[in-house]
Amino acid sequence: MTLPNLKGRVAWIFEDEDFDVDQIVGVKNIKIKDPDELAKLCMAAEEPDFAEKVKPGDLLVGNHNFGYGHPHYPPMIGMRKLGIGGVIGESFSPGYWRGEIAMGFPQVICPGIIGAVSRWDEIEVDWQAGVLRNLTAGTELPIDPLSDSDREMLEAGGIVGYLHAREGEEA
Amino acid sequence: MGFTIAEKILARVSGKTEARAGDELLAKPDFVIAYDFPGYTDVIFRQMEEEFGIEKVAEPDRYALFIDHMVPTATAAEEDLHEGTRSWGKKNNVPVYERKGIGHQVAAELGYATPGAFVVHFDGHISQLGTFGTLAIGVRRHLLEAFVKERIKFQVPETVRIDISGELQMGVTSRDVFHHIVRELGPRACRGMVMEIGGPAIEAMSLEARQTINCLAMFTGAITAINNPDEKALAYMRERQKLDIEPLFSDPDATYHARHEIDITNLEPVAVIPPSPANTRDLSEVAGTEVQVGYLGSCASGRVEDLALAADVLEGRRIKDGFQLYVIPTSQEIMEEAASKGILNRLINAGAFISSSSCDYCFGRMGAMREGQKAVSTGTLNVRGRMGSPDSDIYIVNAAAVAASAIEGKIADPRPYLAAAKEKVPS
Repeated sequence: MTLPNLKGRVAWIFEDEDFDVDQIVGVKNIKIKDPDELAKLCMAAEEPDFAEKVKPGDLLVGNHNFGYGHPHYPPMIGMRKLGIGGVIGESFSPGYWRGEIAMGFPQVICPGIIGAVSRWDEIEVDWQAGVLRNLTAGTELPIDPLSDSDREMLEAGGIVGYLHAREGEEA
Repeated sequence: MGFTIAEKILARVSGKTEARAGDELLAKPDFVIAYDFPGYTDVIFRQMEEEFGIEKVAEPDRYALFIDHMVPTATAAEEDLHEGTRSWGKKNNVPVYERKGIGHQVAAELGYATPGAFVVHFDGHISQLGTFGTLAIGVRRHLLEAFVKERIKFQVPETVRIDISGELQMGVTSRDVFHHIVRELGPRACRGMVMEIGGPAIEAMSLEARQTINCLAMFTGAITAINNPDEKALAYMRERQKLDIEPLFSDPDATYHARHEIDITNLEPVAVIPPSPANTRDLSEVAGTEVQVGYLGSCASGRVEDLALAADVLEGRRIKDGFQLYVIPTSQEIMEEAASKGILNRLINAGAFISSSSCDYCFGRMGAMREGQKAVSTGTLNVRGRMGSPDSDIYIVNAAAVAASAIEGKIADPRPYLAAAKEKVPS
C-alpha cells in the first residue's frame, strides 16, 4: 500500500517556532469534544471566517518544533473536521507528532517549507518521490522519509487500523 | 564505536545483540504503565475488548495502573472511571495502585524503575524513571499498541549527552538547573532524542534532585531522559527492583548526536515566565510581581528535600494574609518521611495548606485560579489555563522561591531567607 499524495492550498502558515497547538482553538475551549464546534473555533480568534475559507484537502504549514508544550487533541480534531489534510512543518515536537500520527493525521517534515510557500499556494506532498511541490511557484523541496511504523499507521488510518493490520504477525 | 545506554536497553528488549539509533525494532516493554484518565485508559480497555477481542492481558505483571488524578474524587462520574480501572485490574490480575501518590514517583518506589528496564506510559513525565537507568518513554495514544501487542514497533532514538559541572549555590536547586538547560540549549535541543545527563554536579545530587530534572525532559524536546546509574541509584533500587536484570551503561565511546557541557556554579534561582516552558529568566527579573497562589508539589518537585527547603525559608515566619499556599507531597511515602522529620509541622505552622498526594493541583482541578490571579508553582507546566482560568498566570520557580513568595505575596528570592535561617541554627 502507498500513501495517497496530499494536495491542497496552504490554509495557514504558523510562523512561530515552538508553536503551542492549543492556541488554534484557544485554551478556554480545549475541553470541547464536539468536532463541529471545534471546527468553528479553529483560528477564529485570528480570522473569524477561517472555517468558511478552508476547502477539503487544504494543508497547514508549521515552523520548527511545531506542537511544543502540552498538546491536546481537540485543535486538530477541529482542523480535520474542516477537511484539513495534513500538516507540513520544518520539524515537530515528538509528543505532538506521535499523537497525531496515531490519529491517522498526516504530518510531513519538510526543511525549508517556511520560506518556500505563501498562504493559499497550491502544494502537493508526493510521498513516493519524497518531495513537496509548490504548484503555484513551480518549486520543490525534499521531505524527510517516514519511519516504517509511522507510514504504516498513516496507511491504516491510525493506530487501531494499524494494529489490525499487524494481526497474525509472530508474537 | 560504542553504544549508548538507550541503544543497549532497546537491543536487550528486542532480543538483539546490538541496536543503533535509527533502527526500527520490535521491542517488548518490561513494564507498561498508565494512570487512569478519561480518553486514555477507559478507551484502551474498551478498544482491547471491542476492537481486538482481548479479554485479558497475557502477562499481568508487566502492567501497572495508578489512580492519582481525580484523587479525591469530586463527582460520581470520576468515581465511575476509577471503579472501571479497579475492575479491569481485578479481572486482568493487573495491580492498581491507588492513593499512594503520583504514579511516576510511586513507580520508582515500587521498583518498576529497574535499572536497565524499558518502560512505556502515555504520559511523558514517566521520563523521570531514567534516574535509575531505566528507559521510560511517554508514547501518548501509541500506548494502545503495548496493551494489544506483546511487542511494539520502536525506532531507536539518538541521544544528546549533557554534562553538568560546578556547585549549586544555596537556594538554587535542580529545578533551576533543568530550566537553565532549556535556556542554554533551547526548547528543541534534544528534539525526538534521549537526553542523557551526567557529570560531577549530577553525581553530587540526591536521587530526588535528579528525578526533578529527568521528569521535565520533554521541554527540551526529548522523548525521555536517562542517567547512567551510579551506586546511589543502584543501592536505592537493590531492595525494590522488580526485575533481576543487569544494569546497563553507555560506553565511553558511544555515539551521540551532540554533547554539551554546562557549568552551574553561578546559576541563580530562575523563573519560567508564562505562558511557555521555554521562557526561562533569572528570578530577579520578575521579583516583586504580585502573586496570590503558591503550589509546591507535582511529579517534578514536592519531594522531601523540596519540602525541607521550603520549611527552612518559612522558619519562624508566616505566609502573607490571604495568600494560598498549597503543599502537596509527591507520594504518601514522602509525606510520611516529611511528617516524621517534623517538616510538615513547620509548614503547617507557617500557614501552608497541606494535602495528601494527588496530581490534581498541577492541572487546575484543585486550587484553581480565577481570572487575573497569578501563581508561583513547582508544577510541571506554565501554559495558559493549566491551573484554572485561561486568564491566570503561572510562574515556575523552585520550592524555596515558592515559600519566599508566599511570605511576601510577591515573587521573591529565597536566598536571604535561607541565609537568615542558617544564622539562627548554631552549627
